[in-house]
Amino acid sequence: MEKFHEKRFKLPILLVSLISNLGLLFFFKYYNFASENLNLLFDKIGIQQDIPLMNFLLPVGISFYTFQTLSYSIDVYFGRQKAEKHLGYFALYVSFFPQLVAGPIERFSRLTPQLKEKHLFSYDNLVNGLRLIIFGFFIKMVIADNLSGIVDEIYAAPEKFSSLEILKGLLFYSFQIYSDFSGYSLIAIGSARIMGIRLMDNFNTPYLAKNISEFWQRWHISLSTWFRDYLYFPLGGNRVAKTRWVFNILVVFVVSGVWHGANWTFLIWGALFGVIYLIESALNKLLKIEREYTPYSFGHISLAVKTFIIVTFIWVFFRSQSFAEAINIFKLLYNNIGFAGAKLIIPGYLWVFFLTFIASDFLLYNKRFDVWLGNVPAIGRWTVYGFLIFSIIVYAGIENFPFIYFQF
Amino acid sequence: MLKKLSLKIVLLLVLLIVLNFVYKTWFYESDLQKNAELINLVRAVPNDADIVYIGESSNITFRGDDIDKRPISAFIGDYFPGLKTYDITKPASHAGIYKVLLENIPVESKVKTIVVTLNLRSFDAQWIYSNLETSLQKSLVLIKPYPPLFNRFLLSFKVFDIKSDSERVKEYRAKWAEDEFHMPGNFQFRNVIEWDRWMSNNGIKDSNGNYDLPQTDLACHFIKSFGFQLDTLKNPRISDFNAIIELARKRNWNLVFNLLAENTGKAGELVGNDLTDLMNENVQILENYYSRKGVVVVNNLNQVGNDQFVDQNWTTEHYAELGRRTVAKNVALALKHWYGDFYKEVHCDSRYQTSFFNDCDKGIIWGQMQTLTTDMAHSGEKSSMTGAGNDYSITFEYPLKVIPDSLKKTINVEFWLHQPSLNHDAKLVIQASGQGFHDYWNGYDIKSIVKDINVWARYNISISVPDSIKQADLIKIYVLNQSKEKIYIDDFKILVRD
Repeated sequence: MEKFHEKRFKLPILLVSLISNLGLLFFFKYYNFASENLNLLFDKIGIQQDIPLMNFLLPVGISFYTFQTLSYSIDVYFGRQKAEKHLGYFALYVSFFPQLVAGPIERFSRLTPQLKEKHLFSYDNLVNGLRLIIFGFFIKMVIADNLSGIVDEIYAAPEKFSSLEILKGLLFYSFQIYSDFSGYSLIAIGSARIMGIRLMDNFNTPYLAKNISEFWQRWHISLSTWFRDYLYFPLGGNRVAKTRWVFNILVVFVVSGVWHGANWTFLIWGALFGVIYLIESALNKLLKIEREYTPYSFGHISLAVKTFIIVTFIWVFFRSQSFAEAINIFKLLYNNIGFAGAKLIIPGYLWVFFLTFIASDFLLYNKRFDVWLGNVPAIGRWTVYGFLIFSIIVYAGIENFPFIYFQF
Repeated sequence: MLKKLSLKIVLLLVLLIVLNFVYKTWFYESDLQKNAELINLVRAVPNDADIVYIGESSNITFRGDDIDKRPISAFIGDYFPGLKTYDITKPASHAGIYKVLLENIPVESKVKTIVVTLNLRSFDAQWIYSNLETSLQKSLVLIKPYPPLFNRFLLSFKVFDIKSDSERVKEYRAKWAEDEFHMPGNFQFRNVIEWDRWMSNNGIKDSNGNYDLPQTDLACHFIKSFGFQLDTLKNPRISDFNAIIELARKRNWNLVFNLLAENTGKAGELVGNDLTDLMNENVQILENYYSRKGVVVVNNLNQVGNDQFVDQNWTTEHYAELGRRTVAKNVALALKHWYGDFYKEVHCDSRYQTSFFNDCDKGIIWGQMQTLTTDMAHSGEKSSMTGAGNDYSITFEYPLKVIPDSLKKTINVEFWLHQPSLNHDAKLVIQASGQGFHDYWNGYDIKSIVKDINVWARYNISISVPDSIKQADLIKIYVLNQSKEKIYIDDFKILVRD
């Protein structure tokens, strides 16, 4: 592609790359979903056609490395990136183990130069990498895994619980998915850091975002920036007519939802974010709510709480296995007010860790854990190490809890 | 940099030592009770025990019509009244588990002799790669001989043999396919899969010449459980037993391997001599192998008849009373080697009992022992919890026919119960079954006799024994509570009298 300067020669090559990459993704991830829905449609309109379903094992991390290879091809096409001639480096870019399974989704221009550099052992890299890994383990194993059982209980039989208990379940899921995925990201970033490779940050205290737009600048950053650069901007971004812009926003959010999985719930999840984004933008223009707030000020916290509540309700679609299950949760939230149902058993230590995690989010607003900890005096730093190590070993959930994002 | 790094490593080690102390002092015990409850089996053995019998469900399983329902280990103890014999029984366990449990016997213990159950079936791939293994291995992690915090680390990071059920199935299927038979003559099957398939396709025929599904299933079980040729170099069970021998050597224990009886009669009848020859050959290999290592091996393989096997449609080592007594006697005779002066012959007459008592604490085995709980108790620490899904209380079972008719005119039942309300229809049930009469079932209302709630109250009733059930093979007495109310039962007393 790089050798050709004319679009008519380059474009077919790009298309081959896009079709083969997206084709594989579609084949493994969306084939059954598409077949099931087409079969339903055929049934409805009376066509006797049964598209067979396939029993595939989804290749691990396919959504993540497909996006990496796509970005590489597109960048080479537009001349933003020189083509890599060394197959080994390209293969390493695609399969660099710390981020292979669930990101962060790296750009070729950022990762490969680092892979080509000579890396000597660095004490700072080791310490900072280990700090990130240990904090990642803490939030995955102590927070996410312990919340997991409680959330599962709610979603397994929500009708047993009162509205208040269901609300607790929704609240815990917001933190479960956050700690599960950001925990993984920290472990990945820390592992790479030990080897001298700096991966991009994937989370930045998203539940302290003042609106949905900011939330997506802080949540799964590598994915949202990918969609911004390779879908939103090519669609015209915001430099288009208003209706087209609304269309662009909705497309980006819906595609981002579908990226997560082949299910209507993910599509609705993405679409809801798009709709709320548009409503917030409109309201902001109308009422001028958005302005600079001092961090932790009343205005900041009020807006963050508002955003968190919205996101928590939208997560219901992400967690539910079907649209009907999600709607049932919302119905029960209303119907079970005052219902003396079963009570969730939440051990005292879990509340302590849960509140500690929330406090740590406040503390780390716009900061990185490794950098923050490096500035804490030695005695405090070692107390934090002791607390984290002890908590991970003694309070980790001991059942088998795979990372949620490994399924994508 | 090296100095800086070394200092940090030292600091980290100090931190870990402090954390280990904190964990061991304030957290370890509750973690043990939550995740490694089987340590209590070892703790129940006092330090002054002479003989410890370690085994799986074969030790404690009984048949309802057994007059004496005690375990094999207790029958062994009868031969040595002057010695203290205890057991460590963990159902579904094997040598790998025994080894870890035995390591936990305190060094200050005066135990002299260990009798280890050696189950031929446990050498088969299906048991080695059993789906129970994950939970068994998990329950051992915290009692491994490492610092407690390190054990907890292993548990948290799942550093034990953790596999899904389907992975286990794949493992033993692969092993079955891989292990080919090397038999003299023209043995027609290459491996156990072929043998099992042949049996399944051809089947066992009943007296009318029809395919007998239950008997064919049983034949297939026999083939899958015992159709292997023991490889003493590769079979992991061999190394588990070797580790026990090594441990016994270090701790100066006398060691007996109690090779359990299998239903070779039935195996021969259904599958043929090829299988029973294979079983005998494998047992011979084990006997020779371990005898050479100085272990006393008691070979019970062919010692128990088909009628003494409790499970007639499955390959287990669960024996009725006579079977357990036979195994116990063989072990006792082997123990004479060290305890000749203590040995006392036991005569097992056709005795019968008329008075029975279970306080839920002293390990007296009745049916439905899984209902025992420490939630509350009238005496001791445990009671039997009924209701909220637990329909049956601990259940008394006895062959009523062995008691002379003149001594069984009335049954007096007494127990203590704790009920939260009277919103239930719990009953005391007397149930009888046997050959030559219709099954008998009668329920006696409980709340009409005991009306006290939230306190322990005594329930007592005398029931005339109908003539129709006097020759019952089995009588069962229990509390049936199908309500949501939890009713606790304790100190269950039954007196059969004239």
